[in-house]
Amino acid sequence: FLLQVKDLFSSLGVGCNVLELDQVDDGAGVQEVLSEITNQKTVPNIFVNKVHVGGCDRTFQAHQSGLLQKLLKENSAYEYDLIVIGGGSGGLACAKEAAILGKKVMVLDFVVPSPQGTSWGLGGTCVNVGCIPKKLMHQAALLGQALHDSRKFGWEYNQQVKHNWETMVDAIQNHISSLNWGYRLSLREKAVTYLNAYGEFVEHHKIKATNRKGQETCHTAAKFVIATGERPRYLGIQGDKEYCITSDDLFSLRYCPGKTLVVGASYVALECAGFLAGLGLDVTVMVRSIILRGFDQEMAEKLSSYMEQQHGVKFLRKFVPVMVQQLEKGSPGKLKVVAKSTEGPETIDGIYNTVLLAIGRDSCTRKIGLEKIGVKINEKNGKIPVNDVEQTNVSYVYAIGDILEGKPELTPVAIQAGKLLARRLFGTSSEKCDYINVPTTVFTPLEYGCCGLSEEKAIEVYKKENLEVFHSFFWPLEWTVAGRENNVCYAKIICNKLDHDRVIGFHVLGPNAGEITQGFAVAMKCRLTKRQLDETVGIHPTCGEVFTTLEITKSLGLDITQKGC
Amino acid sequence: MGPESELTFSIPFLIERHIGKATHDDEGKSWCPDCVQAEPVVREGLKNVSEGCVFIYCHVGEKPYWKDPNNDFRKTLKITAVPTLLKYGTPQKLVESECLQANLMEMLFSEE
Repeated sequence: FLLQVKDLFSSLGVGCNVLELDQVDDGAGVQEVLSEITNQKTVPNIFVNKVHVGGCDRTFQAHQSGLLQKLLKENSAYEYDLIVIGGGSGGLACAKEAAILGKKVMVLDFVVPSPQGTSWGLGGTCVNVGCIPKKLMHQAALLGQALHDSRKFGWEYNQQVKHNWETMVDAIQNHISSLNWGYRLSLREKAVTYLNAYGEFVEHHKIKATNRKGQETCHTAAKFVIATGERPRYLGIQGDKEYCITSDDLFSLRYCPGKTLVVGASYVALECAGFLAGLGLDVTVMVRSIILRGFDQEMAEKLSSYMEQQHGVKFLRKFVPVMVQQLEKGSPGKLKVVAKSTEGPETIDGIYNTVLLAIGRDSCTRKIGLEKIGVKINEKNGKIPVNDVEQTNVSYVYAIGDILEGKPELTPVAIQAGKLLARRLFGTSSEKCDYINVPTTVFTPLEYGCCGLSEEKAIEVYKKENLEVFHSFFWPLEWTVAGRENNVCYAKIICNKLDHDRVIGFHVLGPNAGEITQGFAVAMKCRLTKRQLDETVGIHPTCGEVFTTLEITKSLGLDITQKGC
Repeated sequence: MGPESELTFSIPFLIERHIGKATHDDEGKSWCPDCVQAEPVVREGLKNVSEGCVFIYCHVGEKPYWKDPNNDFRKTLKITAVPTLLKYGTPQKLVESECLQANLMEMLFSEE
């Protein structure tokens, strides 16, 4: 019976003090007194917040009737209604929403410096070392391309156009600082307590916060949200932490990285390689196996071909680095990289100024005391499995953002999940976060926007014969005069024949792919069909209009090569 | 974090630049009602500021000059509204009604 009761309390997230009467002196005496004050002779004899509940049966009855929860709540001297661990996109959205609903909230955010010593302010990955600086550097590269095209449109200037890395980083970091400040202001205005400290669980409902100076404070809350995000993974080879940088370091690098080797085939790797090359640097990408795992492989192949053929990025496929050696110190220095083939004994080496590792990101869930309160994580990747209301296996602990098992790792997803979670916990809402048809864009030199299923996934789920894939190349008008290639930009939709040709996959490779995709994502949420696309009149001349005139299908197998318009 | 102007990193300025013209009426009140409201709150907040802090009170001139979209403040200092409390050399600032909130001011005046 004792075990049953212990389990009950554990699932409620409540710590128990157990006094084993057969292990104390005069246990019999205690039992007698208990009998006097509670009229109960048996064990277990349970008290909650100084109120006598009874034995095992009575306790379960109290749980059924709700009395137990009431007793647990009363007298609960929790400091806060909500403590959020992690001040990134998800954490801040959740905290702010809870505060708006009138709750007492604390946010803990702490950036453990990267091996190269880089750190940053409040706001999480997106603001500091992700989406924001990435898109700005991508823009810097696009402007370089635009300058190049401009001569064809009649612009005349004598100077050779060159790029100053320090000027760009200064401007970008300035903007990021204003965002950090904005977040701090925003939290203060809503009376959310913000601690720049490392949070970890010490027991149920209680965390310890350690600041930069090592000072510790403890705090309690009724509910917790874990939103600690991820950090770049290292290779685990000689010289990786000492000499390589990651995206954590790249966006605030005080010196131009020079000739760069990017290790990885993730979107982070390709986006970084893309803008570095666009800024005029000599860039090589080393890929172990496939590019953009999880994304539509036809699109990934076209995207990387473009980078290789038109954008001057070198690709070393099917190699992994085994050693990084420093040849010269400096900013940047000179590094020698030795790599081994994944298909045989061949090794190669190369000399680079900078080696950027972009081989994946690991969840920050292993050193925050989750084991102390029994929150289950996926031991392999550190991700946290949650149910459809973002709840972990411990009832008062929730998780959002990149650390979630099986959910898209995107800022808007984390923000949406955070907001809705706060509304469900503290408001009157029951709306859950919708993870279906989440659009995304890879900001490589040729941008790739998508929403819904990849062709591979669609075939797996619906079977090839039930799908109709429409596709076309398109030539942006702006590229014609600029003398840029035709038959490179590409549009593809995947339709489910069994459901009125419902559009279940949308893919576009071309300029402004993000802007184009956003609108079509809304259409897909409204259950867009091919017929509706055909009935929509296109805007001319744009790239997006290609989706309103798609005719050729893959099954027909006709040639989609454009001959100019 | 951000570029730090070595000289002025921890020096907060209140910038309403004085151009030598009278910008206060006979009772000593500025033409800007928001500034009039904010001034006592700022002065109160300054009592808790750290030593070595330099506070500069700067007028942006008469109303027409301020309203001119090309005036120095808008162009050089990127000031978009008054009152603005600005920690010079950093992106940290408080604008308009934010200047009325003592807790926000406390954050601006702190060392970070």
